[in-house]
Amino acid sequence: MKLYYSPNACSMAIHVLLAEIGKPYEAVRVNFAESEQYQPAFVAKNPKSKVPTLERDDGSILTELPAIAYYLAKTNPDKNLLPDGVEGEARSLELLEYMTATVHMRGFTRMFRPYAFAFTPADEPKVVEAGRGFVTKGFELLAPILGEQAFLFGDNFTIADAGLFFLEYWAAHRCNIPMPAVLNAHLARLMARPAVQKVLADEGLTA
Amino acid sequence: MKLYYASGACSLGIHVLLNEVGADYELVKLDMRAGDLQKPEYLAVNPKGKVPAMMLDDGTILTEWPALATYIAATHPQAHLISSDPVIAARTLEAVMYINGTVHLAGFSRVMRPAVFSPNPEEKDAVRMQGKKIFGDGLALVSATLGDQDYLMGDFSVADAALFYVTFWNNAVAKVEAPANINAHYDRMMARPAVQRAMVTEGLA
Repeated sequence: MKLYYSPNACSMAIHVLLAEIGKPYEAVRVNFAESEQYQPAFVAKNPKSKVPTLERDDGSILTELPAIAYYLAKTNPDKNLLPDGVEGEARSLELLEYMTATVHMRGFTRMFRPYAFAFTPADEPKVVEAGRGFVTKGFELLAPILGEQAFLFGDNFTIADAGLFFLEYWAAHRCNIPMPAVLNAHLARLMARPAVQKVLADEGLTA
Repeated sequence: MKLYYASGACSLGIHVLLNEVGADYELVKLDMRAGDLQKPEYLAVNPKGKVPAMMLDDGTILTEWPALATYIAATHPQAHLISSDPVIAARTLEAVMYINGTVHLAGFSRVMRPAVFSPNPEEKDAVRMQGKKIFGDGLALVSATLGDQDYLMGDFSVADAALFYVTFWNNAVAKVEAPANINAHYDRMMARPAVQRAMVTEGLA
């Protein structure tokens, strides 16, 4: 199993899941600063030019964060990375889809790449603010789902927590966005996990 | 089960899936133009202010297209809308999430609601063009997955309902030149009774 990642990108969620599972994997850095994701070697693997990209041992490629997370959970049932039952799976995907498609892609993406939304540089601060609004609303919506629980589905870490982790990490360490107290506590809880510490070290990030 | 939908919105794909499995369901119609999605009555149901949303039989609300599709598939296993093989299931979700997250939200949303992307009214057309490019490139990528199969995963799956709603939008609104196999997929979908019934119910046919 090979994970193509970029440090401090959303691929962190999959990186954490691989470390949590604890089976051998290879993490291959894609150098975004040098636009490696647009070069033929990477495009041949993933024409979407995005990370996370998972290469399975048979050479086949899987993309889209929630799909990769779901796959890793289903193929490692002993790790209990999905809550039980039909509803548990659906609720996990509901959370991951909201985290990736709304909080990340509508929120943080506006903050990181405002020029992909507005073509006049003078308008970029407005785009950044709009992005911050999506993120803030996203956290307000996610906080009561977590509530006072240790993890999103209770006492066990699941794939949805890995999704929430990268959003919280960005808020705390990249964008300085205040979060509801329960999310700060969730982030602290995740930062204490050996798998997360290993990933942060491997990606060269602040632990 | 109760589906909250707006006529011709991406909820159309979920409506199709409910028909495909022969689910026992009720419909609650919302009028997007009248601002129903942002009204307090609806925000009390779904604070995201979006469709589709589904009220499950226990009264809880489930949102997000891939989650609804997965739920419908898992509660109606006889319809085989998602494979029990985890690799194929992951591929199905991969296709669904790309269609929702990129083709729809990064592409079509720019075409429909450019002001949400650029605050500059003079950039409306440029945002629309950018949206059409993302939408068209997305359909081309999905076309490669489809290949010469009838359906995206070979057998009919939830991913086909996702492709259906974006190709419906393409024919109705975006009008980008779609690959021949994507257009053939649309025709194949339109021939399915479950699709025809959803189109009639939503006032689209």
